[in-house]
Amino acid sequence: MRDSRQFPRRQLLEVLAAVGSAVALDRLFVAPGAAGQEPSGQQEAPEFTGPGANPYWNSPGQLVTYPQKEPLILLTDRPVQLETPRHCFLTPLTPNGAFYVRWHLPALPNSVDLKEWRLQVEGGASTLTLSLPDLLTRFKPISIVAVNQCSGNSRSRLQPRVAGGQWGNGAMGNALWTGVKLREILEAARVHNNSVQVQFEGLDKGFGPAGYGSNRFMKSLDLNNPVVDECLVAFAMNNEPLPLLNGFPVRLVVPGYFATYWVKSLSWIRILDKPDDNFWMKTAYRIPDTPRGITTPDEVKAGNVRTIPISRMPVRSFLISPDGSIKIPVGFPLQLQGISFSGYGAIRRVEVSDDNGKNWRDARLGEDIGPYSFRTWSLAWTPKQPEKYQLAVRATDAKGNTQPDEGVWNPGGYLWNKIERQEVVVGNAS
Amino acid sequence: MRRYKGYTLALVALAILAGRGLYAEFQAGYYTPTVQGSIRQVLPSVGSTDAIYDAGKYPIYPTVLAAGDGRQEVEVYCNVCHSPRYITMQPPLPGGAWADEVNKMVKTYGASVPDDAVQKIIQYLQSRYTPETRKH
Repeated sequence: MRDSRQFPRRQLLEVLAAVGSAVALDRLFVAPGAAGQEPSGQQEAPEFTGPGANPYWNSPGQLVTYPQKEPLILLTDRPVQLETPRHCFLTPLTPNGAFYVRWHLPALPNSVDLKEWRLQVEGGASTLTLSLPDLLTRFKPISIVAVNQCSGNSRSRLQPRVAGGQWGNGAMGNALWTGVKLREILEAARVHNNSVQVQFEGLDKGFGPAGYGSNRFMKSLDLNNPVVDECLVAFAMNNEPLPLLNGFPVRLVVPGYFATYWVKSLSWIRILDKPDDNFWMKTAYRIPDTPRGITTPDEVKAGNVRTIPISRMPVRSFLISPDGSIKIPVGFPLQLQGISFSGYGAIRRVEVSDDNGKNWRDARLGEDIGPYSFRTWSLAWTPKQPEKYQLAVRATDAKGNTQPDEGVWNPGGYLWNKIERQEVVVGNAS
Repeated sequence: MRRYKGYTLALVALAILAGRGLYAEFQAGYYTPTVQGSIRQVLPSVGSTDAIYDAGKYPIYPTVLAAGDGRQEVEVYCNVCHSPRYITMQPPLPGGAWADEVNKMVKTYGASVPDDAVQKIIQYLQSRYTPETRKH
């Protein structure tokens, strides 16, 4: 007995044949990658953008899979640099699997043996050698939600373009970090009175000669910098162990600061009695000592630019949905949705414009889960005319900093926080 | 030319050996070629219960550098620290910017590249990766 619910195979074949002859299948379907056969209105992202600004929200690279990660956008495979796609920012916390990846040097860790791995704390009156169980049990764990954003996030927006990782907007993420207060570890190491900085080194290693930036990656903070009081040595990310590519077993969390300080697979903490002059402090990750870090190529060439180490993240906001991939019928009730954050404290206000920045309306802020977290926002919006709308979004933080409508240029490609825009095509509905 | 290649390979091998000896507690810097054109789901890892937390080798997504004199030097010397994707990822840059980048790699990052290869690499990048010359 055949199950009567099952569609008989022979009949199915007959129907398919009939459909096939009734319509030309190639008008409806296309083989992936067939040249000149893209569906109307859609096009594949190019391999690179420039010399103009990258017009896309993300970097245009291909999607790839890596161990412990969801499909992410490939920037480089060696060292590994992967960008988070736009749609992953609809939630306030970024899933670990979707969190962007940025290593500096090619000998990044493939595996860690916790039997051997230790966090070494040197340069104080006591030298500490801490295992993961030590970190899990000998200190009081605390948690904080904080945004981790690459210094070069949105570098591909700069004009003229600068060399470096050509990130779109997706070199950022927000997570609940749990770990040990850095101050408690420093107290246990008994810092000398004349110490000035604390240096961090992880497993971001390369094959370059000793003494060069291509050999090892290290960052330092002044011991009297208030941010040190807020730093965590985090063993958990969104209540899970960190993915290896995001810094397993522990990484430094520096709330409000750019991610260059959030040293991954942190293995050495060194208390220094003079300022760190290693390449990654003295030469790299520096910004002009000017308002918003802005300068010009001519000023750089003339040698007029005094620089300081990069530190806090300027206020930013993003429209996540709609993303421009779908044509909207006029009169359709939409919820504009996005995120905002600032390294200078909580977000106070997010405003949205649907006329390219002439008029602004306040958006509704989502739940407040901490001053250094993404703050989600939303706004009901029903387009009234069939036209191309230029949506824009800007945020203001607790210090009164508002996103400006001017871009940033500096040779490192850092600190971009211009008002974001999104074109949305609205069509006739009848 | 052949002499330089051998010299570089030996240097790379030495660097890798040195890296492995110094940091025996972790495995690092391993990559494997991969197939392009499809994205596969990542399955849950089937690990052992020992203390080793292993992500395996990271995939390499090969890219093709534009044909031209100097490509071989790029592939030999630049690849010590980064894959050619670091070059193909860049926007078209003016010739001067490419010279600055290559000189930065040698002087600031300590890349061990013979002088004539430095010039060849600069000329190659300037002839293939500027706004006027970049084709793909």
